[in-house]
Amino acid sequence: MSIMDPRMCRKISSSESLPDVDNVEYEVSNIIAPQESDENFMLEGSPEPQSVTWLDDDQIDELDLNLEQTNLCFHRVDSADIIYRSKKKKFKMVGKYVMGDILGEGSYGKVKEMLDSESLCRRAVKILKKRKLRRIPNGEQNVQREIQLLRILRHKNVIELVDVMYNDEKQKMYLVMEFCVGVLQDMLESSPGKKFPQRQAHDYFTQLLDGLEYLHGQGVVHKDIKPGNLLLTLDQTLKITDFGVAEALDMFSPEDTCYTGQGSPAFQPPEIANGAEQFSGGKVDIWSSGVTLYNMTTGRYPFEGDNVYRLLEAIGRCEAIPPPISLGTSLCTLLTHMLNRDPALRPTVQEIRRHAWVQSRPAFEAGDRIVSPRSRRSDELHNSTVIPYLVERHYASAQEYFTERDLRHELGDGGSRTLSTAELSDGESSRRKHRWHSSCGRLPSCRLT
Amino acid sequence: MFNPDINDYQITSIVKECCGGVAVVYSALYKPSNQNVALKRYFVDKTKENANLIQQDILTRKELQHTNILPYLASFVNGRELYIVSPLMTFGSCRDILDGYFQEGLPELACAIVLRDVLLALQYLHKQLYIHRSIRASHVLIGANGVVRVSGLRSAASLMVRGRRQRQLHNLPPPDSDNSNLMWLSPELLEQNLKGYDERSDIYSVGVLSCELANGAVPFAEVPTTLMFTEKVRGSRPQLLDCSTFPEPCLDDSEMKSIYNTDSGVGDSADAVSRLRQVYTSRKLSDTFHHLSEMALQRDPEKRPTATQLLNHLFFKQIRRTDYLPGLIGRVKPIKPDPDDMSALLLQEQMADMDIEKTTEWDF
Repeated sequence: MSIMDPRMCRKISSSESLPDVDNVEYEVSNIIAPQESDENFMLEGSPEPQSVTWLDDDQIDELDLNLEQTNLCFHRVDSADIIYRSKKKKFKMVGKYVMGDILGEGSYGKVKEMLDSESLCRRAVKILKKRKLRRIPNGEQNVQREIQLLRILRHKNVIELVDVMYNDEKQKMYLVMEFCVGVLQDMLESSPGKKFPQRQAHDYFTQLLDGLEYLHGQGVVHKDIKPGNLLLTLDQTLKITDFGVAEALDMFSPEDTCYTGQGSPAFQPPEIANGAEQFSGGKVDIWSSGVTLYNMTTGRYPFEGDNVYRLLEAIGRCEAIPPPISLGTSLCTLLTHMLNRDPALRPTVQEIRRHAWVQSRPAFEAGDRIVSPRSRRSDELHNSTVIPYLVERHYASAQEYFTERDLRHELGDGGSRTLSTAELSDGESSRRKHRWHSSCGRLPSCRLT
Repeated sequence: MFNPDINDYQITSIVKECCGGVAVVYSALYKPSNQNVALKRYFVDKTKENANLIQQDILTRKELQHTNILPYLASFVNGRELYIVSPLMTFGSCRDILDGYFQEGLPELACAIVLRDVLLALQYLHKQLYIHRSIRASHVLIGANGVVRVSGLRSAASLMVRGRRQRQLHNLPPPDSDNSNLMWLSPELLEQNLKGYDERSDIYSVGVLSCELANGAVPFAEVPTTLMFTEKVRGSRPQLLDCSTFPEPCLDDSEMKSIYNTDSGVGDSADAVSRLRQVYTSRKLSDTFHHLSEMALQRDPEKRPTATQLLNHLFFKQIRRTDYLPGLIGRVKPIKPDPDDMSALLLQEQMADMDIEKTTEWDF
């Protein structure tokens, strides 16, 4: 069996580099990486005071670009001479929202957590940089389409666009969305066998059907259904996201004909792989949902190839790896039906709903273990990452500097682990005086215990 | 039964505007039986998004039957407005009573009676697998004979979702117009993490309510919403204010005034604040009251007692069968429906003049 390059699960058109989730997490929790600060500060212990300029992300980007052209020159620095500063959770607001940590990163920009300071509702924000968007084929156009579509769509299983904000000066756009704890793709990757128990897959698949039925009813074809575009909320509600390549069909046309396909290769139907000039939009989503269900229940893909061309070739010839019989005949027939080479013979959402496997909820089998959303930074509860920023804002805190020796001392056994939100805030609460408590509590009706 | 026809109701006074201006409560005379009722009028056009919340409110109340929960009598649509008929609660809400007559808080015995009845309502609700999610003085109403009834069921949530019993919920209740509801909500509910919250979240709100009733002021009312959030998450608890928790500062009057002049900003006068301080520092609430409130306000929901456990708390042993709530809050003037009230009559005429398309029954 050839090993799938995860790149094939992503869109063909984007020339992005693969974000490494672990890396992103590490970068954020890393104690070094001071950033987002313009202030200069003194390096203690240096023979003469030296000022250091902190760069923001954009400046670092530019620096990287420049470095590629110029000769590199390294200065050797003894690790004992490096002075670290505890990563300051710098409080920042955009509109009425308080910014939290990074949840993910894509070619377009970052996704961060936010907190609505008025309703205290957790949110996620997709931050789009015009500069980065221009580098992606159809980037700006896709974003506009996504905004237009999401503004109209409203369904339990479709991600809700809550707010759109622009910052002309920084050339940034903020898409405020419902908060989700995980992506099915990440959950699959972290689970044994890279699959879900049938019961769990059934739960997600039926919700996917609900969402698809709504979308198709609204004349919208998603065209990029895959585990990477299916999110889960805190209460396990599935949300279809990423409408970048979706298409709103002509409501007055009896056919659902589409002309462009920009989805991810591994989830593309034969008609697109074979370069058809026009095809039925709805049946593309049915095919991709079939591949998704195949993937969620087997941990594999029905079509594989060493590279994108081989993969598309395999799909074009419709040489599917038959689903393992261990899935049970009911699920196997559903999968083969959905992955029919002829779009006209693929079932509609309503037909899938009536299928025996969908109708009856599979039982848990011995050894089945529910896969839960991957925990971020050792926080299994997925606590709000905005809290430390609020703590920074509301309670006086001293800047702290330390060296690697201090750090080793503190970690004692050399175990490196990151502090959870709760530990961080607890630690600070015991160390620091509460600024507000002494000055603004007119009636001190609260106490800390 | 109550007819779903506006012509059977004679409006007698305006009780109050509520729900951020989308609804008004009137007292009205139900002509067929000569009975006083409360009529809540929703301007449906203004509510659009909230139409299903009103529907939720009605559906939930129809399903529930308990002495301490405000019953639903009838509802109907007239023109562009939706009316809901409920029994008239002549003393209004506890919030109105606090604002109008007891700025320093209700007498302890009155607090005990109100809290006991709220807990009885919650005991029933929780048994029906509902979480109220907006227990606050403005949702606790007092009727003519002293009956205490809980309202505000529009933000209630059932633990039964799609036919399956959930162990916990994760979503915030629907936002109210000014997000003030957040002040009564438990830390675990506000946290919105994977652990979620259950009916013990209501117990925390009962704790906040106990402070609200006893102190007059709502805990956290004066701090920014985000600070209220971090305070709760970090385990800060509101408390009952009396000589044990609010020690007399060693300042003379003039110094104190100057402090409060600079601190309080606009709003209450410094005099009123120092008067409140004096009330707090010179009174002593019972230890059992303090204990009850502390138990309910524990940060860890697992440690909080259930409604049933709290009902057995020593604090409630002080209530005698002869204690009569209206007597304890004697200075509160009940709502007096006045059929000759000119303003009410005028209003009735205006409503009759409205272009009424067709009176349709609100179908649930």
